[in-house]
Formats: sequence, C-alpha cells, structure tokens
Amino acid sequence: MKIKPRYVLMFVLPAMFLYTLFVIYPLFDSLRLSFYSWRGVGEKIFVGLRNYKDMFSGGFSKEVFNALSHNVYFFILVSAFELGLGFLIALLLASKIKGAKIFRTVVYLPNMIPLVMVGFMWSLFLHPQIGLVNQFLKAIGLGSLARPWLGDPNLALTTIIMVNVWRNLGFYVLVILASILNISPDLIEAAYIDGANNWKISWKIIFPLTIPTFRTLLILLFIGSFNVFDMIYALEGVQAGPFRSTDVLGTVFYRTAFGGLGSAYTDMGLGAAVTVFIFMIVMPMSILYVYLVERRDRR
Amino acid sequence: MMRFSKYYKLLAYFVLSIYAFIIAGPFFMMIMNSFKSMRELFLKPFSLPSKFMYQNYVQAWQKASIARGYINSAMIAAASVVTVVVLASMFAYMISKYEFKGRRYLFLYSMLGLALPARLAVIPIFLLLRTLNLTNSLIGLIIVYSSVNIPFSAFILKNFIDSVPNELCEAAKIDGASVATIYRRVILPLIKPALSIVAIVTFVNVWNDFFFPLILINDKSKATITLAVSIFFGEYSTQWQLLFSGLTLSIAPTVILFLIFSQYFIAGMTQGAIK
Repeated sequence: MKIKPRYVLMFVLPAMFLYTLFVIYPLFDSLRLSFYSWRGVGEKIFVGLRNYKDMFSGGFSKEVFNALSHNVYFFILVSAFELGLGFLIALLLASKIKGAKIFRTVVYLPNMIPLVMVGFMWSLFLHPQIGLVNQFLKAIGLGSLARPWLGDPNLALTTIIMVNVWRNLGFYVLVILASILNISPDLIEAAYIDGANNWKISWKIIFPLTIPTFRTLLILLFIGSFNVFDMIYALEGVQAGPFRSTDVLGTVFYRTAFGGLGSAYTDMGLGAAVTVFIFMIVMPMSILYVYLVERRDRR
Repeated sequence: MMRFSKYYKLLAYFVLSIYAFIIAGPFFMMIMNSFKSMRELFLKPFSLPSKFMYQNYVQAWQKASIARGYINSAMIAAASVVTVVVLASMFAYMISKYEFKGRRYLFLYSMLGLALPARLAVIPIFLLLRTLNLTNSLIGLIIVYSSVNIPFSAFILKNFIDSVPNELCEAAKIDGASVATIYRRVILPLIKPALSIVAIVTFVNVWNDFFFPLILINDKSKATITLAVSIFFGEYSTQWQLLFSGLTLSIAPTVILFLIFSQYFIAGMTQGAIK
C-alpha cells in the first residue's frame, strides 16, 4: 500500500533512533576511540595507530595472541561437542520414544540459567578438595581421576568449555531435532523401500539435509566464541587464571578498558582497539549470517 | 519417521537417561546442599540433609539483597519488553505493509544489528550514558536493552506481519481505518503469537544478562539479580551453604516460569536463533 512519508517517519523513527544511537553509533565510536590514549577521565591523547601496533607487535601482543588462541580453541572444541553430540542426541530423539517431551524440557533447562550463574555453580562443584565432582569420583572408586579442574593450566580452559557444553547442548539438540523433523517422511519411507538401513539413512539422508542448519549454528558458535566473557569471569576471575591459561579477548578487553587489579594496561583507547579487533574477526560472519537469513526470508 | 528395533530404543533410553542425569544431577545437588549446615555439606555432600536448614535461605535472601535484585531485574525486563514490543512492531508494520522509498535499505540496516554483538560497543555506550547522567541507573539499562533487542524482534515480527493478507489491511483502509487503526485493530491482534515470542526472548535476554550491569552499574542498590548474586559470591566465598541457597534463589524465577511454559519458551528461543 502507498503511504505518506510522514506516517512512515512516525512509525519507524523511534525504533531506528534508539537502534542507531545505542548500537550502530557506538560501534563506529569504538573505532574512533581506538586511535586515542585515554584513561576515561582527563585528556584524550591522539596516538594514531599506536594502540594497534601495541596489540600486534608490542608488549601487549603476547597477551592478545594468547587470548586469541584460546578463543579459537574454544570455538573448535565447542563446535565439535555441541554439534556432534547435538546431532547424535537429536537422532535418538527423532525416533518417537515415550517421554520425549519431558526429556526436551530437562535438556533445555540449563539454558534458562544466566551463564554467570552456571559459572558460579560449577566453581563450587569443581573445587579441588571439597567440590562435588572430585568427591563423586572418589565415591565411585575413580579417585585417581580427581583433578584440580580449574587450577591446572593445562586443563582449566577445557573444563570451562565442558561447562559451557553442559549449559548449551540442549539448545543445539532442539534446533537440530527441529530440522530433522522437517525432513519429509516420504523421503525416508522411500529409502526403506530401497533397502537402506538406519545407519545409511542417518548419514546419507538426514545428515546432508540438516547441513544448512549446521551452517547457521556454526556461524552463531563462531560469533559467540569470540565474545566469551561471563563464564570465564565467574570461574577464573578477570585475571583469567591460572597464569592466564583461560584468558580470552573478552577478559583482555575488560581488564584493559575497566581495570582489574594488577593489569599492566588500563586504557579505554586500547580497550576500544581490542573490541575493534574482535569486531573485525566477527564481522564477516555476521554479514554472512544476515545474508543467509535474508535469502531464506525472501523465498 | 525412522523405524527402530527394540534394542535400538533400549539403547536410546539408556543414553538419554545418562544425559538427563548429567543435567538434572547438579540442580539436585545444588538444592539439596543449600539446606545443609556448612559442616554437613563438606562431610556428607551426597546424602539428604539431616535437618532442613531453611535459615540458609533467610540469610542469603538478606545478605545478597536478592529482593532488591528481583525488583530491579523485573522492572528493567518489563520496561524493556514493552518498549521492544511496541517499537519493533511499529517498525515491522511499516516495512512489511507499505511501499516507500528506501524500504529495503532500511530493513537491511536494521538487520545489521542481528548478529553484531552489542557488547563490543560497550565503551561508547558507557560514555554516552555517562554524558546523559544515566550510568548507575535502571533507565540507562532499559534504554540499552531496548535498543539491543530491537533488530531481532523487528525481524521476527516482520516475518509474521508478511503473512497477514494485504487484502485485510486494504479492506480496513476502504472502511476508513487510519494507518494507526490498522496497526492496532488488524495487525496486533493477528500477530499475538509472534509478540509473545519476542517478549519471551527479550525477557530472558534481559533477565539473564550480566555484562551490561557489571559495567554500567556500581551502586549495590541498583544491581540486577545477576549482579547482586555475583557480588554476594565475592563477599561470602567461604560460606557454601549460603552460596548454594543464593544461587537457587537467583535462578528460581526463570526456572519455574520455564517449567510452566516450557513449550513456549523452547519455541521462542530456538526460533530466535535460527530464523
């Protein structure tokens, strides 16, 4: 329908005003700030590309690349577990078994809890001496497996990733399940008539047909993995201990911009540069996501 | 759908039970241990409490200012949900039902925010709110959450409004209905399911967020529930029985709501991500 521009403005402006002022403008303003050195109060000093030089080759770069490698590790492991296990469990659920509804509710439950609370909860369970995890292992005779899960630099990040999987897996199960249930039953019927077994049907029909879902989920996992913060904060604090072995770009950013006891670098400009760096990594994926969503939307 | 033998179904039950146990076990342990004395919690972590120490809850409630946190979070979430639902539906209505110059670009522009993590813009947001004198205030958080949740909501709502037949709007127009009347009397009643999806997703996003309060709030009386409990965890880190009861209290509202309305929640949250 045709409409007068002033009506359009009346309906569109309030939403676009807020969105522009508090989402789009701040993203660009981060870029501008990243060329300054500034403690948040007092004088802003223009330093050109110095923040970026520090980040990529200066003393700060060690910290940044250490954190970046953890983000990458996080992405790879979380994707493997959440998509892999998610697919297997969704397959099990796709067979119409009794109690599936209750089961769905249970597995989705952890998603309702704030990440930071999940972190706190598991920080108690994973305590080396009195935590329930180690006590449970001892109680069932597997005491030799007891570990300082969060205190061992070689183990801490993987442990955090597993807690993350515990919290989020249900979501992936349900999304993949929805996409499996979308497959036309005729297709599977036809395969049975041709003599295919369940294994073949799973890998030759169901899996290929759910690839678009995996693609979208992978993009979301990528964006999420480079924005991890809450759980590291809850389980290991802003210092991302032990010895920065769980440091990610999110914690580097928080220490740099807003301080965090003993951080050598506290500077809002440098902090903004860190967010611009994360933004540069994430943005191609965001554009791809919007493209995929918009294409599907137009069909 | 797929046909399975008895053995396969047995195996499925077995695997799913283990998984359900891994999920439900920690919840159970958290609640059980929240009723024990500190001594009992450490000595017999897996047994039922010998005496129900409900006092733990009273103490946690008082010390963690959980009541304050509930009220703050509820006010912020309610205001954000209303703002998002109203503004995003108005926007989506225009984009979906009317032809005007630049419509497609405006839509693409709004979708930019769909996958861009707003937390990356937190420094300028902090500075902007500081200039407006809105740091350390609930209004500041409401504005931020409303803005951040608009793109996704507008997108979902546009999809639903697209499926409302144009003829319906045109008929209303011929009957003399204005642009605003069509929006209120025709569109809104027809997209109620979508409005509730958007409301649920926004509510959960706001209620569960920790990052923005951590940065934008430093006055304890303005803390949201997540921030209140995290302050509590720092202050009482050795009194586990209190920590467990504080945790239980902090997550109880969403978990209870979820158990009652799980079908709607699941539909809302899964659609939210994948659309």
